[in-house]
Amino acid sequence: MGGGAPLLAIALGPEGYWWANLLVLVSVYSLLGLSLNLINGYGRMFSLGHHGFWALGAYGAGWLTVALAGTLPGPLVFVLSCLFAMGVAAAGGLVIGLPCLRLRGDYLAIATLGFGEIVRIAIQNSPRELLGGAEGLTVPRVLMEVGPETRAAYRLLFVGLGLVLVVLVAAAIRNYVRSARGRAMLATAQDEVAAGLLGIDPTRSKVAAFLMGSTLAGLAGAVYAHYQGNITPLEFGFMEMVKIFLIVVLGGLGSISGCVLAAFVLLFVEQWLGRLPDSVGWVKEWWQVEYALVLVLLMIFRPRGLLGPRELTDVWRAWRGRRAAAPGRGGGAP
Amino acid sequence: MARLARAAGRGAGARGGRAVSPPLFETRAVTKRYGGLTAVRAVSVRLEPGELVGLIGPNGAGKTTLFNLITGADTVSEGRVWFAGRDVTALKDYQRARLGMARTFQNIRLWPDMSALDNVRAVLAPGPGSGAVAAVLRLPAFRRSEAALTARAEALLDRLGLRAHADARSVDLPYGEQRKLEICRALALEPRLLLLDEPAAGMNPAEKAALMATVEELRRERNLTILVIEHDMKFVMGICERIYVLDHGEEIAHGRPDEVRADPKVIEAYLGGGAC
Repeated sequence: MGGGAPLLAIALGPEGYWWANLLVLVSVYSLLGLSLNLINGYGRMFSLGHHGFWALGAYGAGWLTVALAGTLPGPLVFVLSCLFAMGVAAAGGLVIGLPCLRLRGDYLAIATLGFGEIVRIAIQNSPRELLGGAEGLTVPRVLMEVGPETRAAYRLLFVGLGLVLVVLVAAAIRNYVRSARGRAMLATAQDEVAAGLLGIDPTRSKVAAFLMGSTLAGLAGAVYAHYQGNITPLEFGFMEMVKIFLIVVLGGLGSISGCVLAAFVLLFVEQWLGRLPDSVGWVKEWWQVEYALVLVLLMIFRPRGLLGPRELTDVWRAWRGRRAAAPGRGGGAP
Repeated sequence: MARLARAAGRGAGARGGRAVSPPLFETRAVTKRYGGLTAVRAVSVRLEPGELVGLIGPNGAGKTTLFNLITGADTVSEGRVWFAGRDVTALKDYQRARLGMARTFQNIRLWPDMSALDNVRAVLAPGPGSGAVAAVLRLPAFRRSEAALTARAEALLDRLGLRAHADARSVDLPYGEQRKLEICRALALEPRLLLLDEPAAGMNPAEKAALMATVEELRRERNLTILVIEHDMKFVMGICERIYVLDHGEEIAHGRPDEVRADPKVIEAYLGGGAC
């Protein structure tokens, strides 16, 4: 992910804003995808409330930044607001997770979907002086001043910040999954009854996965809020949930690298659609239908996602193995 | 012949010690009702440490239901379950399992997308250094605990001849190997009581004979107490010291294999039920 010099050249070039903006959004949606992957991919719980945790994180960070801006050094406020955002989202995860994780499949999906909508509508109807209500919340710039000359630098700062966070979070999730706790989580997801009868506490595994997923969505919210500088409840609607879910499914339920790749592809296409000439404007106007269609087709033909639980490295190895005409060892477990 | 003689000797020894040492495991008149249907009615089963006991009966007799009541997969309507000197009736399934009660399943329930090795490692009690923070940061303590878990899991796989399949997804294993992996996974709990639900189902006679020998060896190696549900009479009569017979949720006979085989009620249940 390194290579600061070419990145700088791109960011300062004529297309700079566009690419930098895309990469920041890719990081935010990668974080969202990776965290939803913990719940829906590894955990195999069908949650549709991720936009709610994202909103909780964004507004949590925004609120604390408004409260602390000017009283403490900027970077400290930034870090504190990120931690606070994660805490708020985790609390939300507990509130919705504890009663709902007894539900399965469609029922869990409906309960979490309701939660996501409740969060958005509650923010929309909140007092203006608290969270900005329907007009949105302006988040003070605490990391650096943003003017016409510094906008590129600000974006570049967030490109770096986002990519570092994505790498850290991806590594943390990978390490967690390949540990005793992670195996308990996978076992519970794949056969809860067997897990319980073999000494694994299924509730604990499920709550842990749900809690980690919601906490990390809160982190994505904090980064997003600081980057945008202004957030409105409309940005955290259900179509965002569809987008995040599409990223997870495109990348493969239970695949970390697939998730990041899918975030890039989806957002690239989306941003690129925005630059289409008016003559084919319908392609952009119908994006909600198009996303849903892709999701439906994927669910029919590749229900475990494009990559399934495999990582890009597994695919690469399998491809190389096939070229060498060696008997390929079918999909390695994560 | 030798096996029968040894079994008889052990049985006598266990009976001799009954007054002194309490049973490892006991159900006291457990009953399970589903609405108007009584699946298990006042069944009392008692296992001395080290015994290998069979549980047989026609289809629908309530054998698997009884297993579910014992392991906590289902709750009893009446009666108590005792294990290792304590009343475990109120404990959840995973709590009972951690006390040393492991089972296999009639319909294989491995974790399909996990490797054979991970199926075993997931069950092994992790030592210190296996916490989430240590795992995420890959601390040296975590690496040590992980290496220890892997070594223990590999030893278990080795014991059941599954080492070659360690990295294969469990769902990709041949059927017979999946059955063995289930036993392997149950052993990872380091159980005192092992409950086998039709371990030989779907195996051919040669595989059954090998499995019988393995179960018998494992019991001696690991001081296991085993309760086994099995339809194959040769299997049950061959290795069990005592047998409980259920029919329509009730115990209809109980005793040594030769006693049970001669019991008119057992013959009636099997011939009358038309399933043998």
